[in-house]
Amino acid sequence: MATATKGNIGRITQVIGSTFDAEFEEAKIPAIYNAVKVEINAGGNKQTLTGEISKHLGGGRVRCVALGSTDGLRRGQDCVDTGAPVSVPVGEGALGRVFNMLGEPVDGRGPVNAKEYRPIHAPAPRVEDLSTNTELFETGIKVIDLLTPFVRGGKAGLFGGAGLGKTVILQELIARVASAHGGYSVFAGVGERTREGTDLWLEMQEAEIGQTGRKVIEQTCMVFGQMNEPPGSRLRVALSALTMAEYFRDMTGKDTLMFVDNIFRFSQAGSEVSALLGRMPSAVGYQPTLATEMGALQERIASTRKGAITSVQAVYVPADDPTDPAPATAFGQLDAFIYLERSISEKGIYPAVDPLASSSRILDPQFVGARHYAVARRVQTTLQRYRELQDIIAILGVDELSESDKMVVHRARRIERFLSQPFLVAEVFTGKPGEITPLADTIRSFEEICDGKWDHLPEDAFMYVGSIEQAEEQAKRMVAAAAKK
Amino acid sequence: MANPRALDKRRKSIRNIRKITRTMELIATARFKKAMERAASATDYTRRITKLVGDLTRAGLEVSHPLLEQRDATNRAVLLVLTANRGLCGGYNGNVLRLSVQRKKELDELTGGRTVIEVSGKRGISGLKFRGIETGESFTQFDDQPKFEQVEAIANRYLEDFILGRIDRLDVAYTRFVSASRQEAVVETLLPLGKLDVAAAAQPTRGATAAAQSESAQQDIYEFVPSAASILEEVVPASFKVKLFKCFLDAAVSEQISRMVAMKSATENASDMIKMLSRTYNRARQSQITGQIMEVIGGVEALKS
Repeated sequence: MATATKGNIGRITQVIGSTFDAEFEEAKIPAIYNAVKVEINAGGNKQTLTGEISKHLGGGRVRCVALGSTDGLRRGQDCVDTGAPVSVPVGEGALGRVFNMLGEPVDGRGPVNAKEYRPIHAPAPRVEDLSTNTELFETGIKVIDLLTPFVRGGKAGLFGGAGLGKTVILQELIARVASAHGGYSVFAGVGERTREGTDLWLEMQEAEIGQTGRKVIEQTCMVFGQMNEPPGSRLRVALSALTMAEYFRDMTGKDTLMFVDNIFRFSQAGSEVSALLGRMPSAVGYQPTLATEMGALQERIASTRKGAITSVQAVYVPADDPTDPAPATAFGQLDAFIYLERSISEKGIYPAVDPLASSSRILDPQFVGARHYAVARRVQTTLQRYRELQDIIAILGVDELSESDKMVVHRARRIERFLSQPFLVAEVFTGKPGEITPLADTIRSFEEICDGKWDHLPEDAFMYVGSIEQAEEQAKRMVAAAAKK
Repeated sequence: MANPRALDKRRKSIRNIRKITRTMELIATARFKKAMERAASATDYTRRITKLVGDLTRAGLEVSHPLLEQRDATNRAVLLVLTANRGLCGGYNGNVLRLSVQRKKELDELTGGRTVIEVSGKRGISGLKFRGIETGESFTQFDDQPKFEQVEAIANRYLEDFILGRIDRLDVAYTRFVSASRQEAVVETLLPLGKLDVAAAAQPTRGATAAAQSESAQQDIYEFVPSAASILEEVVPASFKVKLFKCFLDAAVSEQISRMVAMKSATENASDMIKMLSRTYNRARQSQITGQIMEVIGGVEALKS
């Protein structure tokens, strides 16, 4: 940044949608990623627009991505190079606050009392600093703990098409994990509904951390760049949140949680500005730099020897097609991969996790233990066989199956239903209190179903319960209810 | 969206399945007609002979026959299960098996576990084996046209065993043919014969019920030459054999009907599935093409500016 100095003023030469060009003195051309500021007067409404240099066009001209609306921006206006990338407040002072992508508080509680600001662009941790611990991270959600165990300090992705409950699962995880968690949490709202952000904020103000009497929000930073924001803002908001999380990791050494909803919007925003920046569209119209951008972001969400960031990211899957480049690129970065399937949600089973498409790096006897691994595999084998038989059942009927296949179908249908679970955050809708099932109970329950111990219970008894004993109780209640009628 | 090639492959395999099920449906229809004729002609004979035995016993004759006697204690029982040799006939085998497992339990309580299950049909044999139930004798020689000689051989063995007291009761689990649209799995007690009343035997053909009633209404008066005892000696075992044969015939007809119905619905299901897959396939193919065109055009446009 040797070339950048304070008071370096340039002029706007061109405005293309949410990008604009500016001309500086050739010797004082600002560095890539530097923030430039423009005072704009849109309909008597004075605003400061921040832009980020993303390309040098040669001859002192630079191309910038606008991080706010370009309405009212004119050619010939002055723009000031700030000499550094966008910086956001970090540390204790940022806790309990809600920010926009530029690090400005948007919760109406006055200025932020932060000692330190950090630029949102930073290199990823070096290889030798990365932590090599692999430890299971228990969530109390049966299907996740059994089949796609999360890694402490790892990354988990929730993939799913529109309306399958990604955000609900993410909020459920916040409710389960953040409230039992001693460290800090950072939430990044990327291009999703503002309402969901507000809901979450209000909820966090009420929820308490364990029995400490402190509110969850006191340990949380939230950064939003929602749907209504221009693409530049959505492109960078994840970085702003990440910068805050990185500070907690590096300076406090505490376990930090990072939630991102929705990482797909990051790629989408990138593709919106990509063509304007003069890049040739690549596969399915995405930016050619899709993998680079994703890599730069994801590599920073890492656990080092100083501290760990455990992150959970929602990933929208356009048109339910997981081979779409955006989700496919995100997929490679994750430790645990949870795929939400429409056909399961259509059966009314929530969380609609596809037990066969989802996977986790640590579902390995080395990490989870031989018993957990064996039970998980048995569950998957049973469900896999059931899926293979589905065509035959559809054509010829269940009666044509061999006796052993009938047994597989019988158990698979029960397992399928038993993978559902009442959620804490869904209590107001379902009227059922959320269930936190300890991992040991989960493993035992599924093992017993696979062993055929619960073959006699009706299928519906397995819906929305915690451990298998609750299924038994539910079966008894169903019998009692039927007797009453 | 699944890839078009996988969809097409799946559609092809379902087409093959449909071809098979349709053929099987046609074969079953042809066989059903033949089996039906045999069963229908046997029905009349069975009814008449059952009635005869009924009349004879009701006539208050002093003579008795060992096959007609009710035994005080059932020490040993045999349950004969009639299933098909082949599958692909809907719930036909499953229903009979379910019923016979249930009856086996009841008989076991009566006899204190001394019930022997005998099975006809490969499906029944393997089904019982899977359920862990031991079977005695098993037969696989009966197909869609059971022969009287074959059945008689089995019947003779039962008769001998019963008369010598080696068994006290014989139950048969099979699928009774009620009408072309209705067959039901039943368990009937064939030995001792007296347990079976005339009405039950007359029931199978609904249309004939009225005629049967009028027949039984008029009290036939018999004269026995040379003696009642010798006639019973002849008629009673014959009646048992015919009844057993009827069970086999009914089972055969029901099997063909079940197969016909099952294959018909299978063919329809396959057709539905093909329709659905074709739609998904076309959509996937079209979107693939659209995507590719868009990419080319997008590239050209980008190069233009």
